[in-house]
Amino acid sequence: MKKLMNSADAFVDEMLDGLVAACPSLRRSGRVVRTAAGPAPGRVGIVSGGGSGHLPLFTGYVGEGLLDACAIGDVFAGPSVASCVEAIRAADGGAGVLLLYGNYGGDRMNFDLAAESVEFDGVATRSVLGADDIASAAPAEAHKRRGVAGIVYAYKIAGAKAATGADLDAVSAAAAATVAATRTIGVALSPCLIPGAASPAFELGDQEIEMGMGIHGEPGIWRAPLTSADAIADEMVDRLLAEPVEESSKRVSVMVNSLGATPLEELLIVYRRVSARLADAGLTVVMPLIGHFATSMEMAGLSLSICRLDGEREALLAAPAACPFWRV
Amino acid sequence: MSDTLDAAAFRAALLRIRDAAAAAQAELDAADGRIGDGDTGIMLRRLFEAVAAAAPADVADLGLFFRACAKRASESTGSSLGTLVTVALMLLAKRLAGRTKLPVAELGGLLGEIRDQAMARGGAALGDKTVVDMLDAVARAIDGLDREAAAMAAGRAMDETLAGFRDRPNRIGRARMFAERSIGIDDPGMLAFARLTAVLTRAEGA
Repeated sequence: MKKLMNSADAFVDEMLDGLVAACPSLRRSGRVVRTAAGPAPGRVGIVSGGGSGHLPLFTGYVGEGLLDACAIGDVFAGPSVASCVEAIRAADGGAGVLLLYGNYGGDRMNFDLAAESVEFDGVATRSVLGADDIASAAPAEAHKRRGVAGIVYAYKIAGAKAATGADLDAVSAAAAATVAATRTIGVALSPCLIPGAASPAFELGDQEIEMGMGIHGEPGIWRAPLTSADAIADEMVDRLLAEPVEESSKRVSVMVNSLGATPLEELLIVYRRVSARLADAGLTVVMPLIGHFATSMEMAGLSLSICRLDGEREALLAAPAACPFWRV
Repeated sequence: MSDTLDAAAFRAALLRIRDAAAAAQAELDAADGRIGDGDTGIMLRRLFEAVAAAAPADVADLGLFFRACAKRASESTGSSLGTLVTVALMLLAKRLAGRTKLPVAELGGLLGEIRDQAMARGGAALGDKTVVDMLDAVARAIDGLDREAAAMAAGRAMDETLAGFRDRPNRIGRARMFAERSIGIDDPGMLAFARLTAVLTRAEGA
């Protein structure tokens, strides 16, 4: 695998230099990216954070109607406690800050420590963890599930809720309800390489795929030879629809997300089948999202997310928002 | 050989741990690569480079010494193992505030407190095959011992703990998902603790 970089140690910081150079709407301080405008006084701030290597996740969603600030770690490693503290302070407009991030042990520890630290300064926080990856634990252990691409729905809906002037509890509840209504499964076609590592994060044969693999190469459900796009789409839809979800609405948003190397053409071939299957199941798709939303560097493959929409979530999903890689 | 440690001794130890982390990077990356994303060695090398550079040479108060180290650690890593290093340094900063010397015999008790903090923060239990098990074994092994005896006991405890857990599965974190694959190999966090502190136990126990 080849990478365009100057050094592994400078990989993340040089990427962030490029990001803020390309996006005048963003400001950077160390490993924190925030909106140039800063938090709106009296409005709930939203902070996320996570490892690099997943753009547009996490940093790419800092923008109007989405995140106010984001703490960034090394590739596939959580952000430091100090970065989490700084991001929370950068997002604080006086009405409290929602910490909305993926369910990973390191991130939990760091954000918990950071929340305790800012508490001394009178900054109220709530934490909501993305946990949409159905392959990472059984429904009975849903609290152990990892957060993957589906967290983007929580960003969007919480961001729109905060923009209405809702208080911290209401914004947190909207985010938590979105997490509860969203399920994701991924399939990997090829591995990725952490800058500076001697070998890929995992191995996958030339003609092999892994259903359910996580965005850092965590093991999935099965590994077998590559089959057709329709067969893969069918299994992903079947697994997602078999999941127990409290929300009974028949309206859903669907995200077909490239893990990095898989092109739009292939995403659309899969979406073609997914949309037909969902229609057969009596579901109406609203705002399909097809593209790169949460990646694993050069990993090939895709993830499929389904977010059940009630009336409020649908309106919040459709509310205006703008970040460097997505505009609604 | 002194049985008390001062800031200069802790700084010298950190410099040796920094060098040990650099020397062990490839081995730790490889160990992590079997059950994770293969970056434990890189992360620890970067972390201890940063912490060693921040370790003050002109501070006698051990609380201030470890506060400076903890601050730099908290800025330098976000990995769960790295954050446990930060948690350990923060605990030492609190416990040793106002003191300029620490009897080696007290190290075991402090390591035990670090073990408890690591369990509370990270959610691991004893027996899950994590660095917590290594902290527990070493804390108990060196409790109340003088410097030379502690170094020898720590070395023995680390060897025995690695051997004792090698054929058990990881039960928490990303490695739990590789439970079958984790049987027969060392946990990267336990191995890292052993590799980074072996330079201290070997020198002092020789």
